[in-house]
Amino acid sequence: MAYKDTVKALTNRGVREEVAAMLAAKLKTLSGITAAGVEGLVELGISEEEAQSIIAAVGKRAPSASKAAKAAVEEAPKVEVKMEEVTNFYQYTDTEEKLKGISEGLGYKLPMKIIVDIAARIKDADLDDATCEKLIKVANRMYTAHLMDQNESAGVMAAHSIGEPGTQMNMRTFHYAGVANINVTQGLPRLIEIVDARRVPSTPSMNIPLIGIAASDENVAKMVASNIEITSLLDIADVETDITNLKLVIRPDARKMDEKGLTTEEVVEKLNKLKAVRGLVSIEGFDIVVTLDAANEEAPFKKLQSMFEAVKNAKIKGIDGITRAVISKKDGVYGIVTEGSNLKEVLKVEGVDADNVMTNSILEVADVLGIEAARNSIIHEAEGTLGEAGLDVDIRHIMLVADLMTNDGSVKAIGRHGVSGKKSSVLARAAFEITAAHLLHAAMVGEVDHLEGVTENIIVGQPVTLGTGAVNLIYTPKTKGDEE
Amino acid sequence: MTVRGITKRIGSIKFSCISPEEIRKMSATKIITADTYDDEGYPIEMGLMDSHMGVIEPGLRCKTCGCKVDECPGHFGHIDLAQPVIHVGFIKDIKMLLESTCCQCGRLMLSEEQIKARRDSMDKMEELGGDTIDAKNFAKDTAKDASGKGICPYCGAEQIKIKLDKPTTFRQVENNHKLNPKEVRERLERINDEDLITLGIDPKTCRPEWMVLTALAVPPVTVRPSITLDSGDRSEDDLTHKLVDVLRINQRLRENRDSGAPQLIVDDLSELLQYHVTTYFDNQTSGIPPARHRSGRPLKTLSQRLKGKEGRFRSNLSGKRVNFSARTVISPDPLLSINEVGVPRKAARELTVPLHVNEHNIEKAREIVRRGPIDAETEDESAPYLPGANYVIRSDGRRIRITERNAEDVAEGLEVDYTVERHLINGDVVLFNRQPSLHRMSMMAHRVRIMPGRTFRFNLCDCPPYNADFDGDEMNLHVLQSDEARAEARILMQVQENILSPRYGGPIIGAIHDHITGAYFLTHENPRFNAEEAANIMFKLPDIEMPKPFIDEKTGEAYWTGKQLFSTVLPSDFRTTFKANICQNCKGGCKKEQCEFDAYVKIRDGQLLCGTIDVRGIGNSKGKILDRIARDYGSTEAAKFINHVTRLALGALMNHGFSTGISDQDIPAEAALQINEFSNQCIDRVSELVASFRDNTLQQMPGRSLRETLEVEVQGVLSEAREEAGRIAGKHLGMTNPAVIMAKAGARGSMLNLSQMAGCVGQQSVRGERLARGYWNRTLPHFQKGDLGAYARGFCSNSYKSGLSPTEFFFHAMGGREGLVDTAVRTSRSGYMQRRLVSALEDLKLTADGTVRNTIGTVVQFKYGEDGVDPARTVRGKAIDLDDLFAEVLGDRADELLKIDTKDVGGDYGSLEKDEMEYIEEEESEDFDDLDTDYEGGGE
Repeated sequence: MAYKDTVKALTNRGVREEVAAMLAAKLKTLSGITAAGVEGLVELGISEEEAQSIIAAVGKRAPSASKAAKAAVEEAPKVEVKMEEVTNFYQYTDTEEKLKGISEGLGYKLPMKIIVDIAARIKDADLDDATCEKLIKVANRMYTAHLMDQNESAGVMAAHSIGEPGTQMNMRTFHYAGVANINVTQGLPRLIEIVDARRVPSTPSMNIPLIGIAASDENVAKMVASNIEITSLLDIADVETDITNLKLVIRPDARKMDEKGLTTEEVVEKLNKLKAVRGLVSIEGFDIVVTLDAANEEAPFKKLQSMFEAVKNAKIKGIDGITRAVISKKDGVYGIVTEGSNLKEVLKVEGVDADNVMTNSILEVADVLGIEAARNSIIHEAEGTLGEAGLDVDIRHIMLVADLMTNDGSVKAIGRHGVSGKKSSVLARAAFEITAAHLLHAAMVGEVDHLEGVTENIIVGQPVTLGTGAVNLIYTPKTKGDEE
Repeated sequence: MTVRGITKRIGSIKFSCISPEEIRKMSATKIITADTYDDEGYPIEMGLMDSHMGVIEPGLRCKTCGCKVDECPGHFGHIDLAQPVIHVGFIKDIKMLLESTCCQCGRLMLSEEQIKARRDSMDKMEELGGDTIDAKNFAKDTAKDASGKGICPYCGAEQIKIKLDKPTTFRQVENNHKLNPKEVRERLERINDEDLITLGIDPKTCRPEWMVLTALAVPPVTVRPSITLDSGDRSEDDLTHKLVDVLRINQRLRENRDSGAPQLIVDDLSELLQYHVTTYFDNQTSGIPPARHRSGRPLKTLSQRLKGKEGRFRSNLSGKRVNFSARTVISPDPLLSINEVGVPRKAARELTVPLHVNEHNIEKAREIVRRGPIDAETEDESAPYLPGANYVIRSDGRRIRITERNAEDVAEGLEVDYTVERHLINGDVVLFNRQPSLHRMSMMAHRVRIMPGRTFRFNLCDCPPYNADFDGDEMNLHVLQSDEARAEARILMQVQENILSPRYGGPIIGAIHDHITGAYFLTHENPRFNAEEAANIMFKLPDIEMPKPFIDEKTGEAYWTGKQLFSTVLPSDFRTTFKANICQNCKGGCKKEQCEFDAYVKIRDGQLLCGTIDVRGIGNSKGKILDRIARDYGSTEAAKFINHVTRLALGALMNHGFSTGISDQDIPAEAALQINEFSNQCIDRVSELVASFRDNTLQQMPGRSLRETLEVEVQGVLSEAREEAGRIAGKHLGMTNPAVIMAKAGARGSMLNLSQMAGCVGQQSVRGERLARGYWNRTLPHFQKGDLGAYARGFCSNSYKSGLSPTEFFFHAMGGREGLVDTAVRTSRSGYMQRRLVSALEDLKLTADGTVRNTIGTVVQFKYGEDGVDPARTVRGKAIDLDDLFAEVLGDRADELLKIDTKDVGGDYGSLEKDEMEYIEEEESEDFDDLDTDYEGGGE
């Protein structure tokens, strides 16, 4: 905090101006003042009384106090968090183990996926060992024949494979996620959103499978949904302002209350926690009444109005950000589809199959579950979007994009603010976007472009370092003398 | 001859700022006058077009290097500025420096320990391979930490806050005093080198005071050539205009200052000078009006020259114009191989290939040169094509143009080590391309076939990769100039190498349209052909032997069957099993070989045993046979197969005869009546729904408003109407109908198209909703306000054939317009997305150890795609084809042994033309199921 701000802050708290100026110059910030304490201030030549009042004044609204409290809270439960042991490792079946053994015995590096696929086919066939070995041998021959060539420009291939079908996608396709009434952006806009790594997707949505009785009992499922969907007071009641008596009358709708599984008492309790109307809420008959303490207010009508606004939008139940939660039934199991997303909170809700909750908000996945999960989320979302449009794109391309986006531990966008803007080459960055700024900065710090990438080499007119350009072959022709 | 094959690479490029001393040192001349040319039209000495800075007019010689136009690269000049001027590009950095350093002693306002800590971190970063961006952010952080201090920790001077008045004025916050550039420069001079390094600036390449210019480098005239108009007037380049402005004001400022003019005037002038220099660098600086040309067009100054799509970087450096290329309209030729491209003679005579002369080919080269540059216009098209030559390049690099007259002499003078630029001949490798080049298959290598006419021609199978059609499309052709390039093109880029798309591991080149119809007629129900017919079909396949005929038991006549003829083009050990596109997905399970639709395809030992060959067999992107041949038999075999099978199919089609017309959409009167009746019923149901909506008896869906519920219900009813119409129409359009054959075989069109033509066009929509815009509360004045009925909201109950009513026609146009707008928006959006993707991913490559890395060696993937398999060689994304594996190891036992579920045999590659009708049906039935459950659940 700068000198001036400190002075201002101090004078606002009723400290004399010249004292404030002196304090600000010496101790710089408010926290500095609190840190110095009464003794410190006295040392600076302020009377003890005044020092005490200053400390008190600073402490009152000082952010440091609340911060300290927060810090204390954070520090207090420093209970060692026990890592839960992962128990659901995939157990290879006997056939799989057998094939794996054969493969390893032959020194092959067959991916487990192939072995598992083969095993799935032969598990009932009861083949003898020789046949199995032959299977693995042939599989290995096929696998090695299908391997990618070295120096292949895997990146460009992926970019083309994802970009080209983009031209065939629709702009405004909305897809109704499972249930008929929650709609999710699809098609090209969604794909762009994914590679942009937008913080919040244009239509955030979650797919929440349920567990336990909630999965089989519709009423329980509905209960869970009502715990997730955000319910404001207006959703369950009418609010009226009674100006003559200076109070708000809230008339709960019994049916809606019932649907949401709320009782009047619960609502009152929630409302009483609201800052604007703390302690003013009570029950009168079927209604809930918020009485304004008119005697203590300077502008009672204004206050009433602000209370009305506060109460109207008060959250009674549910999770922030989730505007709707609808139950869906798939294969006889109930689940919930939502509009809006809040992964962190949903995971805590009882009855939710937390292992399988999905959200289409990639950044949120990164925040809550980590970067690996975000990477999988990108793959899942991109593949879903392309698949929805009926376009087939090999998952390897999508994986590469996802891996690149999450390479450094945070989700980076494909574009000038993300991957492209972080390229090591000046020329490549300049050729992409914001040309002048990159060149000027390069000049200032004396950047060196080592011409390792594609764009740079094209710019200076050299072969690029991919594919055939990556290979250097030096050939010394034999002269006649050498032959002898 | 120059030494060939030895190439020098530019190792690296270092960027740096230029110091005023260096500007003066490298300057060929100082520029003092704003005039350009004298009355005779010669450049004025020490003027902006001084010939010391290079020449742009032929005949003149550069006064610095003595070279002529095109030989002299140009030389910089300089302007001595009367007063320092801030460089706009660095304004943010200057501000950062001013804020983070002391205004008195110029030290970075951090304590010694802090500086040390920072420097240690920087060293660590470098050690760990941090890139420039990290360094940039770190430096920014350092500056932020250092700024805003009240007192300098070194000299104890009190700091004055500085604010930036955009674009280039610094003011002290306290007293609003303007810091003139001179003061800024003085402060920057005081910053010591060590502190600069801490701030991420290399003092050797860029002293901060250089960011405040005292001398302005004037680019060579070759950079800003003036053009002489037809009228004889000279028109100067935008940069020259700007420099004229700078010079004029500079001159006036100097005069005024020297003559002791009032400070106010001097200040005004120096501000004006600042403005001109600022716009000289960047004419789009925010906060100041752009400098304009006399005509009112904003000038294109330095920054604008580099920036954007038309800027130097993107249009001249990342993409370059080339010689030896041609562009013309394309047209189809089914008799060319997929590897060929038909090149018109006229183009072939212009495009040349360098022929290096040696002892062995000198006579041949002479013969070519002797023919000279044959004029394609006057040449006899019927005469055989013989290559001539346009140029001969001597061993000393001189180029000799061959004309009809000197051809003989040049031919005689030909020596070893000369290069002859001969005309294109059959078999030359060229690159063929169609924009937009969205994937690598947009540019493939073809073999030249010289042809009469004026268009490029190629096989129809090559249309999908280029996304070409023949409605006036043009394509480009590039002739390769070096053996290395030719070899690479032949091995990597030739069409046959690109049959399998890396996007989805299936063929992208394959039979299309008529080829598929042809193959259908050839194989469906196994027709018999007599000797004449069979010969007619087979004669276009010269390298295939006619198979042994069957003998009819009754008549004793020889005959051939369609499946037999088809089998001739299959490899002899070919085996596969799949379901054709015409498969009806019988409910009672597949009857396999006994399929009454002949849709179960079984090939063993290269013989088609049963089934119909259609799009699932040989089509592009879906063709199973094609797919397998391309993967297992190699590209040459695959190319041969495509060539053969398409010719065979066309032969069969020509033998059969095939056409479709408007009468193919005829349906019997009673069918039309039925459709009409049903759609009327549906419309009545819609009216009922609307009525129930009006009197609030409509059952509301959970989570939806009443109005939305109505829309959903209505759309359901109306799409049912269209489907039923399609069903009724479909019943009367059997497999004998050519249009239906095309749709079912997957050649072109879908059943949806047909049902719209014959049955009912259906609901028109904008943004997925029924039409609702137009007039107030109604779509058209033909309807009542607030009418929510079927017709009023864009339902077209007529078919395309019966003709739309005027209102329907209008609604249809509305729906159609949305499609057009959508396409226009989509192309630009997806284009940008692809540009970003390519720019982000272009540097990634698969290294020798199987990892995917970028250029600086950061590992992006430890194993490409987690299994290292090339997507183009996968089987529908799977690393290996299990069916093949089992077939190979277990033979025919495989099926029964493993109880293979044949469900996924009909699996599909990503394709666009899904039968939309089926698709919609699926979707909707699903949707409705969900609705129902939802309904029961949340209803009460």
